[in-house]
Amino acid sequence: MANVVLENLAKIYAEGDTEEVRAVNGINLSVEKGEFLAIVGPSGSGKSTLLNLIGCLDVPTSGHVFIDGVDTQGLNEKELTRIRREKVGFVFQDFNLLPVLNAFENVILPLRYLKVAGHERERRAKEALDLVSLSNRSKSRPSQLSGGERQRVAIARALITNPSLVLADEPTGELDTVNTCRIIEVMRELNDKLNQTFAIVTHDPMVAGYTRRIVTLRDGSVESDLSQQPADLHCDDKPSI
Amino acid sequence: MLKVILRNMWRRKARTFLTVFGIVVGIFALTVLGGLSARLTQQVKGAKSWFTNSISIVPTGGSLFGGGENQFFTLSKVQEVQNVPGVKEAIAGIGLLVKSSQTFSFGAPDLIIGLDLSRSQDLLKQLHVDKGRGLTSGDRGKVLLGSTLANKLGAQVGGTVDLRGRQFEVVGILQPTLAAPDTFAFVSYKDALELFFKANPFITRGQPITSVIYATWDKGANPEVVSNRISKQVSGVRVISPKEAEKQISQFSLIFNAILFGIAFIALVVGGLSIINTMVMSVSERTKEIGLKRAIGADTRTILGEYLLESSVIGLLGGLIGMGVGLLAILLLNDATKSNNVTVFAISWLVVVGPVIFATVLGTLAGIFPALRASRLRPVESLRED
Ligand SMILES: Nc1ncnc2c1ncn2[C@@H]1O[C@H](COP(=O)(O)OP(=O)(O)OP(=O)(O)O)[C@@H](O)[C@H]1O
Ligand SMILES: [Mg+2]
Repeated sequence: MANVVLENLAKIYAEGDTEEVRAVNGINLSVEKGEFLAIVGPSGSGKSTLLNLIGCLDVPTSGHVFIDGVDTQGLNEKELTRIRREKVGFVFQDFNLLPVLNAFENVILPLRYLKVAGHERERRAKEALDLVSLSNRSKSRPSQLSGGERQRVAIARALITNPSLVLADEPTGELDTVNTCRIIEVMRELNDKLNQTFAIVTHDPMVAGYTRRIVTLRDGSVESDLSQQPADLHCDDKPSI
Repeated sequence: MLKVILRNMWRRKARTFLTVFGIVVGIFALTVLGGLSARLTQQVKGAKSWFTNSISIVPTGGSLFGGGENQFFTLSKVQEVQNVPGVKEAIAGIGLLVKSSQTFSFGAPDLIIGLDLSRSQDLLKQLHVDKGRGLTSGDRGKVLLGSTLANKLGAQVGGTVDLRGRQFEVVGILQPTLAAPDTFAFVSYKDALELFFKANPFITRGQPITSVIYATWDKGANPEVVSNRISKQVSGVRVISPKEAEKQISQFSLIFNAILFGIAFIALVVGGLSIINTMVMSVSERTKEIGLKRAIGADTRTILGEYLLESSVIGLLGGLIGMGVGLLAILLLNDATKSNNVTVFAISWLVVVGPVIFATVLGTLAGIFPALRASRLRPVESLRED
């Protein structure tokens, strides 16, 4: 069963007198479990809107989103929250870490909403920080971490619930080349190890080059959908452990 | 969870401080007034227990504390009251202010009460002697002092005190009741009569008079019924039954409590608005954070709970500090007035716990609106915000 299936998905913004914007305009797409794909396209082509629809942060104007075979159309807020909580992990361009929590506490947060028992939570948080090579910074607040480190914390947070789907909206948008490379490296390692689906929205051709499938959007529609051999990763220096 | 809330509050120190300060001021006022009200309640309760032990009969136009210094009965009235069925004993009494110039006082005034000792043992039994002994039939020139009055006069058992220019030997001092009898000096009827004549030289001496008659009732008789009977059978008197005495005393405290509630209401409005203001700002500032929490799976109830908890913690903190400062003020003020033998404030569990609970509930209520708003935002919309 496909991990994500989109059927005639559309999101139309119509505000007052202004002309309506078809941010997502009839998209059909199927993503198998364990895929590592990039969503690219010019600014305003609907990438973020699409990602938010897939992750149930937003509801479509028409069409369907199936997550692991479940049609999210017509689900109420509570049921959508449950899908987000159990099936989806999000990574954002601006990290979105809570400033008052340290790395460890940020990572553990989704498990609290999942009502996982205390000791189990801590074990998994340690594990998740280990996966992104940040065990040594678990007590640091976001303000004490570099951009790359913050994004790795955010990735650990997205992965801790073991979601079937990880959605990342320009995760390297605020990072330099070296850190971009490291983040992609971490994601690919996790994708290999845990077989989770990764959908990464990006402007960066280098990032797209490291994926196995590139979906290009234009004006809310899929312009092209190509599979490729991913480029080899050669980050200048490994993240320190 | 609590740790996170405290950190969030700490992160916005200045604002948290201002909000908490607003609540502290309100709760401080509430605590101090609560102490005042508690003291009043104590006194009212004590006054009630004393004045409802007997039926007071005063000349028409007189009040609970006796007929006043120019209103009195002749002694024949005592016999008239005694003849009413249901009356066990009618006791001649004279009420006099300890200081002729005393005007207003907080609670009961300092009062000399002269009683016909041969008949008033039932009534005097209600008083609990702390040191020395009670008054017995035939005592002359002896006084039984309430604890506050004894303190004020610096009296010792066996020593003497000056009451209206006459020396009395102190035979006993009563246990403190925190209320009415504390400020009373009990003497014999004859002694009080002499003082009365001295204070009112224009009244012909030798004519035995009484300014108040206390009546006790037979076992099993209803004092209200007996009171009614007295006012029907005896002319020219005002009968204050136990129930009426209670009503008169309660009225006094009612007015005061109304003022207290008025101030509590202001505290509610000010404190509530300041919490609402803080929470609205704090929530809109963290819209994005809420969006993030929703994205990683927090449902609306969880978000609502988190922000409600935060506002109730603010309320609790303000309540605790305000109550603490208020309590301190009460103790200091009580200490300062100690030398005057006045106790203005009392501390009861309600004075301590009440304001804290009040502030916490207030904080929670004030948080409801912003918390509801926060939890209802759509995740995409909140995440877009900066
Ligand atoms: N809340 C909204 N109201 C109205 N129009 C919107 C809203 N959100 C997005 N749009 C419009 O929808 C279109 C797609 O926006 P979207 O954010 O998905 O683009 P994008 O591909 O992510 O762009 P970028 O690469 O700049 O992030 C744009 O034209 C945008 O102006
Ligand atoms: Mg975008």
